[in-house]
Amino acid sequence: MKGSSMEVGEVSKKGASPTRGLSIMDFVLRILAAVATLGAALAMATTNETLPFATQFIKFRAEFDDLPSLLFFVTGNSVVSGYLVLSLVLSVFHIVRSTAAKSRILLVAFDTVMLGLVTASASAATSIVYIAHHGNAGANWFAICQQYNNFCERISGSLIGSYIAVAIFTILIILSVVAISRN
Amino acid sequence: MSTIDVSESSKNIGNGRKVPGAPLRPGWKKGVAIMDFILRLGAIAASLGAAASMATSDQTLPFFTQFFQFEASYDSFSTFQFFVIAMAFVGGYLVLSIPFSIVTIIRPHAAGPRLFLIILDTVFLTLSTSSGAAAAAIVYLAHNGNQDSNWLAICNQFGDFCQQISGAVVASLVAVLLLVVLIVMSAVALPHNSYL
Repeated sequence: MKGSSMEVGEVSKKGASPTRGLSIMDFVLRILAAVATLGAALAMATTNETLPFATQFIKFRAEFDDLPSLLFFVTGNSVVSGYLVLSLVLSVFHIVRSTAAKSRILLVAFDTVMLGLVTASASAATSIVYIAHHGNAGANWFAICQQYNNFCERISGSLIGSYIAVAIFTILIILSVVAISRN
Repeated sequence: MSTIDVSESSKNIGNGRKVPGAPLRPGWKKGVAIMDFILRLGAIAASLGAAASMATSDQTLPFFTQFFQFEASYDSFSTFQFFVIAMAFVGGYLVLSIPFSIVTIIRPHAAGPRLFLIILDTVFLTLSTSSGAAAAAIVYLAHNGNQDSNWLAICNQFGDFCQQISGAVVASLVAVLLLVVLIVMSAVALPHNSYL
């Protein structure tokens, strides 16, 4: 392309088609990831289990905000979900204007930061859920899942949506970078 | 109809742009590549330091009963085992990516090595963030305990162990930050031909 001359008014169609497919796939994956993180945040935030027995002074209750890592999980996934919905605008812009490079670079930068956030929240929650399932003999931490079955199932299941979003973010970054280099 | 001839790239157009799409001085991509190399060395130090610090964390308290000896070590927590292995992998990958980084210094306008580095950096960013955050959750519990689930804060007894695992987590999060900066820098310097 360097050294060739172009007439004014002639639009080259070569750059549009290879990256348009990538942009459409980017849009679809973004919607999927937004749904996944929103679902994960909601599933974790609505956990609430009260055990049927109670003494006169103590009520046995488990909620997600008793454990700070799960609270971080809910906030992290909500932030990422909101970001994904807002970035749909930029994604649509890339479908329409497939040769945009600087805005794609901006999107890669934000996506990388959000990948870090969603991975961090998913991993922190996973390690707490692991301890809740197995306990830890060395630190004398008791496995609370043995009493709170429902609570445990819910917090374990909500991790799935978050990990789907992690995989999707990785694919999104790779797609954007390949689209930049193809333009 | 007028024609635009792009072949006269040896003349300076205005502020020194020789190639359409290059925003700054010519040679800025080489500067970015050198910065990439230096940050990569920093990330190697951070990730290998994190792995080493966690792997050598082991503390035995001076008192013991007839049946128990009070010992804390990283391998009683499977999260910390995952942390050591993952940070070792990340450190190993960063060492192996040094040749590719050198290639991008020598050939700043080649897209292949940079693209390869970005994709692999993203994968290892995920791995290191995951291990760092999981270990951070455990370290937070070790410092603060949790009253509702009756988990005791072990840092009150095992002070040295706690310092080492906290330092390891901080080092791994430094490596995560450096990887994010590396990815964004490589994306900015990736060769592309369009104006926008």
